[in-house]
Amino acid sequence: MSTLLEIDDLRVDFSRDGRVTSRALRGISLAVEAGEAVGVVGETGCGKTLTGLSVLRMLPDNASVSGRVCFEGRDLLELSAHELRTIRGRRISMVFQSPGTSFNPVFTVGYQIGLVAERHLGVGRKEGQRLVAETLHAVGLPNPESVMRFYPHELSGGMLQRAMIAMAIICRPSLLIADEPTTALDVTIAQQILRLLRRLQHEQGFGVFFISHDLDLVSDFCDRIAVLYAGRVVELGATAELLRRPRHPYTRALLEALPGRSQPGAPLPTVPGTVPSDLDDAPGCSFAPRCPLVVERCFQERPVLADIGSGHAAACHRWDAL
Amino acid sequence: MLHFLRRRLLASLLTLFGITTITFALARVVPSDPAVVYIGPLARPAEIARVTKELGLDRPLYEQYVSYLRDLFHGDWGTSLATKQPVLGGIAARLPATLELILLAMTLAVAVGIPLGVYAAYRKGHLPDAGARVGSVVGISMPVFWLGLLLQVLFAEQLQLLPATGRLSLETSVLDPITKITGFYLFDSLVTGDWAGFRDAASHLVLPTITLAAYPAALITRMTRAAMLDVLGQDYVRTARTFGLSERLVLWRLALRNALPTTLTVSGLSLAYLVTGSFFVEIVFNWPGIGQYSTSALLNLDYPAIMGITLLGATVFLVINLVVDLLQAKLDPRVRLQ
Amino acid sequence: MSVSLDSPEQLPEAFRSIGMRSRALRTLRRDPGALLGASVITFLVVMALAAPLVAPYPSQGRGEADVPARDLAPSWEHLFGTDHLGRDMLSRVIFGGRPALGVAFAVVILAALIGVPLGMVAGYRGGWLDEALMRFTDLFLAFPPLLLAMVISATLGASLFHAGLALAISWWPWYARLARTVTQSLKHEPFIDAARVFGVREPVILARHVLRNATTPILVQATIDAGTVILAVGALAFLGLAAQPPTPDWGLMVAEGRTTVVSEWWISTFPGLAIFAAVLGFNLLGDALRDVLDPKTGTR
Repeated sequence: MSTLLEIDDLRVDFSRDGRVTSRALRGISLAVEAGEAVGVVGETGCGKTLTGLSVLRMLPDNASVSGRVCFEGRDLLELSAHELRTIRGRRISMVFQSPGTSFNPVFTVGYQIGLVAERHLGVGRKEGQRLVAETLHAVGLPNPESVMRFYPHELSGGMLQRAMIAMAIICRPSLLIADEPTTALDVTIAQQILRLLRRLQHEQGFGVFFISHDLDLVSDFCDRIAVLYAGRVVELGATAELLRRPRHPYTRALLEALPGRSQPGAPLPTVPGTVPSDLDDAPGCSFAPRCPLVVERCFQERPVLADIGSGHAAACHRWDAL
Repeated sequence: MLHFLRRRLLASLLTLFGITTITFALARVVPSDPAVVYIGPLARPAEIARVTKELGLDRPLYEQYVSYLRDLFHGDWGTSLATKQPVLGGIAARLPATLELILLAMTLAVAVGIPLGVYAAYRKGHLPDAGARVGSVVGISMPVFWLGLLLQVLFAEQLQLLPATGRLSLETSVLDPITKITGFYLFDSLVTGDWAGFRDAASHLVLPTITLAAYPAALITRMTRAAMLDVLGQDYVRTARTFGLSERLVLWRLALRNALPTTLTVSGLSLAYLVTGSFFVEIVFNWPGIGQYSTSALLNLDYPAIMGITLLGATVFLVINLVVDLLQAKLDPRVRLQ
Repeated sequence: MSVSLDSPEQLPEAFRSIGMRSRALRTLRRDPGALLGASVITFLVVMALAAPLVAPYPSQGRGEADVPARDLAPSWEHLFGTDHLGRDMLSRVIFGGRPALGVAFAVVILAALIGVPLGMVAGYRGGWLDEALMRFTDLFLAFPPLLLAMVISATLGASLFHAGLALAISWWPWYARLARTVTQSLKHEPFIDAARVFGVREPVILARHVLRNATTPILVQATIDAGTVILAVGALAFLGLAAQPPTPDWGLMVAEGRTTVVSEWWISTFPGLAIFAAVLGFNLLGDALRDVLDPKTGTR
């Protein structure tokens, strides 16, 4: 099994007027194998969406990037703009959180999806539209020929998300980046979309980079999970193993905070304190101020993401105490 | 759609009626005596009395108004007090000259304004943007008549590149006139294969067209830039880029289409501005259009002519607004005609 | 921007200084367009007010002729040359600032005074009052720009006063519309509801609460309109439908020099330049104000 995507020490800084205003990603390292679904979880602001965008290099002008992002053996950070455009939408696709605003309101859904197919696969208008109908059918939309002629504002959230997925898979990519694909949908629709994604993944064999703040959701869908905190990966491992025996206090706290795991009647556990600012440069572990297992060493020496056996890694000095 | 058009037509007629009433009231509140305007400054009391009766000016105002409306209905726009010719004929004869100028100026303004606005938004913060912003704020600040004079002095006199006035040079209009089909000299000369005439007409059109197009071009640039900036910040533009579509496609087809409604509205307003703006250009360049007709009508208080011009102007304005609204509905699928 | 406090009593002062006004002024100070616009306007206003002191030939500025010195090209004695009646062009242009700026402010203030209250009441009350106002303003706005003003000015008798009146009459519907739109969007804000619940009477609500929030877009519009009015007055004067000789009106001066623009270019060029400068100043200032005060387009 070859490694589809390998992110190595990815760092992203934002600056304005020559000064750094935010150190958003501080050395992300994780990998996605072919056909594998990797969940990337964390609270708002931890950098999970940014990591996804960095893979495609969809970053604003004031961002500076370092590290390596190897896709199918090539470092995406080294590619030219033209080469990147052959990858985006074709070898790596992205599904966004709100399909309603992600589609262009003045063109039909069929036109927009068809455009992606035409440009990347080199097919003509007619063949493109045929492909669109075929793909819309594959994502479970009834009457693809008529759905194609609808404008985005005429379709429901669930239908639009299916259409978005269609646009993402029409060129048969090897990797799909899903950024909170179900957050804006109501629960039953969300379940349907997830089932759809799983089915498509098995049928077409693409890898999935699943970004979410919902650990429950991710544990259902993904083979492995990466937990992010303040711009770094704090734990990485197979889903079952990670859930059964988390090796980082933050992961454990997240698990304990899940409503399903709490005792009825007892107060819901939370993590006291707040996430450090993205300019914070203190030595030591960034979770230390909030950690229930903290010791003196945690404030002085930053723990590195270290392998602790069978593909499970954690960035904590006290991982074996958990 | 038909329902919308019907209601709109009715509303337009009502508006035109209102405008006619206002203008009639204004024109008849006039301190000067129409009869005197008709005869001329050396009018004698006996003549004035006779003409007053002849023109029906001694009847009560509302009666005059009613008969004016009745005549309008039958296509009679009254007779100019100054030229003694029918107003409708006078306007119709001069209309092609003005229309040719206005249409060309509008085309130029749009052809320059939209691309410039799009490019300025795309390169925001860089030189093209700064240049477009400076150019456009200068363009909307310049008095049109002053610009015309400047261009005249610079190109016609100093550089001797282009003619200063008129639609055709004296030689062409006397010795080898363009055959009149539509009254649009460029069109007529092309259709009859009259190359010399075409070049002559074209060279006379350059300066007036540029003068007239400056303000709308600047306005369109500004509005297009603003609309494009808004669009370029939207999610769907980011999505298109994420799917690897080329910048050219994203900018000129996918993004621009969303900015067009704003551009369309501005263009409609500009076209309306051109209607009165052309008056000034025609004076400066001695253009034989309705501009000169209107100006002398206003200065002489030739009220039938004034009413005719106002009626024409308001009608044109209403038509422009209607077309703009129809096009807006076509451009943006979310708009419902009300 | 950080504020250091030595005691709790300093809090209100601290908040005020982090307020919008200082941020706005700072942004304005840094913006080159705003600076240029403000300087130009200030310069013109000062020139206009101090005209008798600044102009080299004040009496000629007002209209006194000196025929033997006519049509002189620009020189050290006459920086802008002289016109057909021998009057010093520089003085004429300086004095010309008076009618131009005076009419601009007068028209904008008058149009706003008429239009804003009408628009606010209509927008707030809604119903038939609103409908009536809309139809009424529709009628005015159905005239092609400037045409109505031309007709009014012509029929009243061409003069600067009548031209100003005509423009004010043409302009007030825009302010009514603007005020109406703003009022309608504010009508449903919680603080208006709160005021009503507390028994505040309608005129007070409108005057104090609505107006304070509406001043921003109206102010921006008024600034740009001041420039547009100068253009319009200049245009009307050019046609002969506004100020009459010997008034030193810029538009009128351009017209006076039109026929001889080739041989005596200075007679039309400098007054036109003055119009251009004034309008440019107002436009730059208006743009800067809009950028600073409009929360939507706030960040550059």
